[in-house]
Amino acid sequence: MRSFQAWAALLAMMANGWAAASDPLPPDQFGMEPLPARTPHWIYVVDSAFMNEIDSRVRLYDADTHGHLGQIDAGFFPGVTLSPDRNTMAVGTTYFARGGHGERTDVVEFTDMTTLALTGEIVLPAKRAQATPTYFNLGYSSDSHFLYAAYITPAASFGVLDPASRKVLGEIDTAGCVLVIPWGPDHVSSICDSGRLLTVTVDAQGNEVSRALSDMFFDVDTDPLFVQGIPTDRGYTFLSFLGKVHEVDFSGPEPLIHAPWSLVSVAEAGRWRPGGQQLGAIQRRMGRLYVAMHRGGEGTHKKGGTEIWVFDLGTHRRIARWPVAPLKLAAVTAVQVSQDEAPLLFLASDNPAAVATLDALTGRLRHVDTNLGQTPWLILNP
Amino acid sequence: MQRLDRLFESSARSLAQRSSRRSFIGVLGRILTGSLLVPLLPIDRIHRAEAASGPEGSPGAAEKAPAAAKGKSASKAYTEDQESCDYWKYCAIDGFLCSCCGGSSHTCPPGTQQSVVSWIGTCHNPADGRDYIVSYNDCCGKASCGNCDCYRNERERPLYRLSRNNDVNWCMANTGSDYHCTVSVILGSAGP
Repeated sequence: MRSFQAWAALLAMMANGWAAASDPLPPDQFGMEPLPARTPHWIYVVDSAFMNEIDSRVRLYDADTHGHLGQIDAGFFPGVTLSPDRNTMAVGTTYFARGGHGERTDVVEFTDMTTLALTGEIVLPAKRAQATPTYFNLGYSSDSHFLYAAYITPAASFGVLDPASRKVLGEIDTAGCVLVIPWGPDHVSSICDSGRLLTVTVDAQGNEVSRALSDMFFDVDTDPLFVQGIPTDRGYTFLSFLGKVHEVDFSGPEPLIHAPWSLVSVAEAGRWRPGGQQLGAIQRRMGRLYVAMHRGGEGTHKKGGTEIWVFDLGTHRRIARWPVAPLKLAAVTAVQVSQDEAPLLFLASDNPAAVATLDALTGRLRHVDTNLGQTPWLILNP
Repeated sequence: MQRLDRLFESSARSLAQRSSRRSFIGVLGRILTGSLLVPLLPIDRIHRAEAASGPEGSPGAAEKAPAAAKGKSASKAYTEDQESCDYWKYCAIDGFLCSCCGGSSHTCPPGTQQSVVSWIGTCHNPADGRDYIVSYNDCCGKASCGNCDCYRNERERPLYRLSRNNDVNWCMANTGSDYHCTVSVILGSAGP
């Protein structure tokens, strides 16, 4: 015992001596990390924070480095969109003066996507559609001149905003049709219970100059259309509860609605179907559609996908089925794909929450991240 | 047929232009309250049409217990346990059960506000074999309860069919419009 104490004392003396001989650490320079230049492999993950909905966030993530780059606060039932030049994120949201209660303020907040600094806001009338996130809760005109915010009170309308002067310009009634699908510099379409699109055209001041209804292209009683559109080169693709694919071309003078085609064979119909929050994504360069599919019946339309089905948009043929279980991921509730030449596929689940990154060409898993919020229901490309 | 379409479109637009938000809420409130007294045939027709429509309708959907409600104890949850998501009245719910938050299946927790607008569903009660119209009202004015997240969505429909949709905050028209939890209130029998 005496010998052990002697050795311990000797070692302590040597350690002190070495410490005294080396230089102390320099003082840290307290500061703020700059945001790196964005790449096609970034994603913006909208976490609706369903368990505490007044605290939604948008999280920035780099799938190449698995790095968490920053956060944008998003309040209560946010609508999130990017400006056409991708340099500004607009978040339409609601805050209560005292956390879960107090005076309600509906507002659109603007964030500079090169610094993540808030740059301004537009206070809205207390009419904003407080709905689960889609591309169509809030959206810019193609020339960035207008920003449109969907209103539901429950009467449906939308606000016309001027993002440059930070002002509300007006409100346009949509006769029960919902959400805002801006296209071109002066058109906004909304989805109607009658199975049609209502398209409003506005003038340079944001006032309505005309409106038109499309032909009926879906029947809510037999096969409802999901409101979550998937961006394409010329518009959006919409899926139906039973797996019909409705491609809508918004590049002409009026919406051109193509004849639908089906994700499922006759044998699969009614058994396999799309579901979730962000149901699918299209890699526009490759012409591939990725859809979260599950086995299920009536009432399962929000159930996440147990498989990802991959389709060639040219031939409408299914070219792959990728089961989700081997990825160690729960059912997939949101799907996104990058638009570069080495595309990544992003799959999010919410129970438990995780975001997986896959090679979009092969389906090979690259990484699973479990720190991107509790209910990641919408993923945006940078 | 196109003339008929145009006629309905123009009358719908005209109605929308003549109606204010407040009158819409008032009418909706009267419809929901009145549904105790009058049969809601359109809703019942939707349910029947779905039940008969093959794959989407999954025949007899309202007559079946949810997939999770198999076996004896699950069956009890389906018929009796108001804190279970499988309870029959919750067939189109997507939210936190107020019965786990200080309220009951049809009453709000203390200190919250009852939503003034709601969505509706048609659920089957296995105890008496009847279908019921239920109003899914949110309880409002406090932050999310977070207990008993329940997720059924039978015959729930997208946002454009607002009266059947649960993806929107139904506390929207309350002075305290934060969402706390959801109740399921029987409005009346859907059948004869």
